[in-house]
Amino acid sequence: MTYFLLRRTFGFIATLIAVSIVVFAVMNVLPGDPALTILGMDATDDALAALRKELGLNDPLLARYFAWVGGALTGDFGTSHSFRVPVAELITERLAMTVSLAVAGMVLTLVIALSVGIFAAANHGKAGDWATMFISQLGIAVPAFWLSILLVLLFAVKLRWLPPGGFAGWSDPVAALRSLVLPTVALALVQSAVLARVTRSSALEVMRQDFTRTARASGLSQRRILWRHVLPNALVPIVTIVGMQFAALVTGTIVIENVFYLPGLGRLIFQSIANRDLPTVQALVMLFAVIVVTANFVVDLLYVLIDPRLKARA
Amino acid sequence: MKSLPANFTIGAVLVALVLGAAALSLVWTPHDPTALNIRGKFAAPSAAHWLGTDQLGRDIVSQLMAAARNSMTVAIVAVFLGGSIGVALGLLASAIGGWVEDGVMRLADLGFAFPALLFAIMLAAVFGPSLTNAVLAIAFINIPIFARVARASANQVWTREYVLAARAAGMNKLAITRDHILPNIAAAVIVQATIEFAVAILAEAALSYLGLGAQPPASSWGRMLSEAQTLIYLAPELAIYPGLCIVTAVLGFGLLGDGLRDVTDPRLARAR
Amino acid sequence: MFELQNMTVRFSFGEALREASLRINPGDRIGIVGESGSGKSMLAACLMGMVPDAAELTGTLGVDGIDMTHASEAHWQTIRARRVAMIFQEPMSALNPLRRVGETVAEPMRVHLGLGKAQARARVSALFKEVGIPDPDSRLRMFPHELSGGQRQRVLIALALACDPELLIADEPTTALDANVALKITDLLVDLSRTRNMALVFISHDLAAVARATTDIAVMYGGDIVERGRTAEVLANPVHPYTQGLLAARPDPRAVPRDANGRRRRLPTIPGTVPPLYKLPQGCRFSGRCAVERSACAYVKPAPVGPRHATCHAITQDTL
Repeated sequence: MTYFLLRRTFGFIATLIAVSIVVFAVMNVLPGDPALTILGMDATDDALAALRKELGLNDPLLARYFAWVGGALTGDFGTSHSFRVPVAELITERLAMTVSLAVAGMVLTLVIALSVGIFAAANHGKAGDWATMFISQLGIAVPAFWLSILLVLLFAVKLRWLPPGGFAGWSDPVAALRSLVLPTVALALVQSAVLARVTRSSALEVMRQDFTRTARASGLSQRRILWRHVLPNALVPIVTIVGMQFAALVTGTIVIENVFYLPGLGRLIFQSIANRDLPTVQALVMLFAVIVVTANFVVDLLYVLIDPRLKARA
Repeated sequence: MKSLPANFTIGAVLVALVLGAAALSLVWTPHDPTALNIRGKFAAPSAAHWLGTDQLGRDIVSQLMAAARNSMTVAIVAVFLGGSIGVALGLLASAIGGWVEDGVMRLADLGFAFPALLFAIMLAAVFGPSLTNAVLAIAFINIPIFARVARASANQVWTREYVLAARAAGMNKLAITRDHILPNIAAAVIVQATIEFAVAILAEAALSYLGLGAQPPASSWGRMLSEAQTLIYLAPELAIYPGLCIVTAVLGFGLLGDGLRDVTDPRLARAR
Repeated sequence: MFELQNMTVRFSFGEALREASLRINPGDRIGIVGESGSGKSMLAACLMGMVPDAAELTGTLGVDGIDMTHASEAHWQTIRARRVAMIFQEPMSALNPLRRVGETVAEPMRVHLGLGKAQARARVSALFKEVGIPDPDSRLRMFPHELSGGQRQRVLIALALACDPELLIADEPTTALDANVALKITDLLVDLSRTRNMALVFISHDLAAVARATTDIAVMYGGDIVERGRTAEVLANPVHPYTQGLLAARPDPRAVPRDANGRRRRLPTIPGTVPPLYKLPQGCRFSGRCAVERSACAYVKPAPVGPRHATCHAITQDTL
């Protein structure tokens, strides 16, 4: 068990280091001269020299990498070139939006996907199963941003129940929550299409196993068998997909924030690209990659929590 | 004659529809998709403009057809590029084994840490947004996917008797890979490519929607949607057609891929 | 009391059970023997209300005089565990691998008897002791993969006994176990049946185990009960050609495997194999493999004859 944890943690840290190298290399080596990228072709030599000094570009590459990683570990991501404030400050201001969107999206995805998947499995071969499978097949092909636009068309333009986008801040919690309803639903619906299918096939597999019959022979209700016996055993493949989906969900927030004009990290990335604000983009890309890698790491640990047999082997 | 699975047939029909429209746009579209006609803007559907015109008077059908062509081109180039590199890496890993195989697979794991969007964002920040960057980003995420598929399938083939016989006869690994391994993993690679095609179309649409892909005046379903979104109160129907096209294309390639897998590997079909 | 009368289970592709009648009184120990595909598991499924949805049932299944033939799943949930319980062939896979075995056994008690956590736990511990699990208080915290096959089967027996059923159905309970463990499990089932005055339906193809465990026996072939009677009498003096063939095909451990010329002695076997459901003959199911077959056998269903209820055209009152 300890050996397993150590090995996984070591792999996790190694991946993080590799990711930081890739991000640093793409953002600092590919452009040739980042100062030129930021300021553009018509910049004066003096301005370029000043910016190079500010960004520390005169130091050797390796020293710059370690300075960046060292800073990032202590919460210092450098200074945003366009906003003229520390990048860390920009991130903390917007983190709440992205995190609440991602977490709410994940929770809603799980609720929808598990219910629909279990429902379809319980009605295997019947109309309910066919209908959910058809809708989910369609759902996989629908891009999140188009679904968002459709939701806006229906609930904001036609019915006028919810705002079409924008965010007025957390000071009015009701208005804030109303602004987040459509983005969350759009995010969750697309994700739950895949997850519902995985849940269904995984649950069907488990329902064929002998212990499901034992549970039925013990006079337990179908509902109880499905949720207390089948679902926990179906979780391993589900968790795998959830881990992968969390990555999709996090990048999904980047798209959704731009669809609904929400002031989160996703908006910040695009503002920074437009402003050629390399330090900010670099910090944000690293942050998102870290979230993706961490999600996969957590999934690895979850397997062991779910299945006691793996604990024995691990 | 065994009947083909329904997902294969439906997928093939949808794919034929999209590919047909894309191919046709090479030689003919009802109008020039980029021709402006400010006086004829927001025209209702008519004999001249089957789905009407947009805010600049451009013909919708022509734009959708040109966008189909662009979308298919991006998907083909990206999947082919990423796929070839990935398959080559996977074959290399499988043929040599040992630390090379471990190294390639660790690299593939690393690749999964970067969704296409993140990679496109980095490239856009460095080089400025362009369709080329979008293609590169989508190609990049395909490398680890194909490397894994190729290695897994190739490892199976390496254990077969005729391959062992070829090795015993002194054939070198490169020749065996070319003559025996590659033909035997082709089916698995083609199935994966079809599915990744659907993913690539979705990714291209999203990147173009965000402004990281096709740049004006090139037509793109994603970009049409981002323009339509700003006009959602004026002309809501503009936000419908491109989305339907994306769904048709993605659904078509997805179903076709599933169907191909069912046809080529009945064992998997039953397991699912 | 459980009673099957002329129960037929019909699928679109054939009949898995044909006009089967069986009466089970408290404390009865009945063996059901036959090859795989003989309908013995379908008989058990009828008694549990667990016949697949696709099947059409005719005849009656009475539980204490109430007809349960077409009872709802919800109704059956009140019967299972409390009136009738079942243990299955595969102790390796019949337990939820993610649950501690104590929780699994406690669940029906908590659901059906409304016991609290502590009460249920005490009862599980007592049950584990009764079915011969040593050190029950530590075993009930274990997961299935931490127990041996015999121990798991004991856990499954404890689970079946959780709500004191009147009838316990054991479907090939010892097939997957080592021979000496199998003997102990068989004896445990007999002891439990005696001390609790609980009826036992013991399904097996192992005639020795059935002889050891039961007082009465029903022999099945192709969905028919072809012969029944006191276990000792049927095994000593079988009347149905199928039962005779089944007994003759039994390897005798005392027999010399080679004859005087050094040739391997061949065990007498019933010619052919059990046909699939959709290929069963309309009349006597055993026709086509039977040594004493007559021309009508394949087309006319034989009526039960004599005290053994043997279904065979070759048997008449005077041959008995």
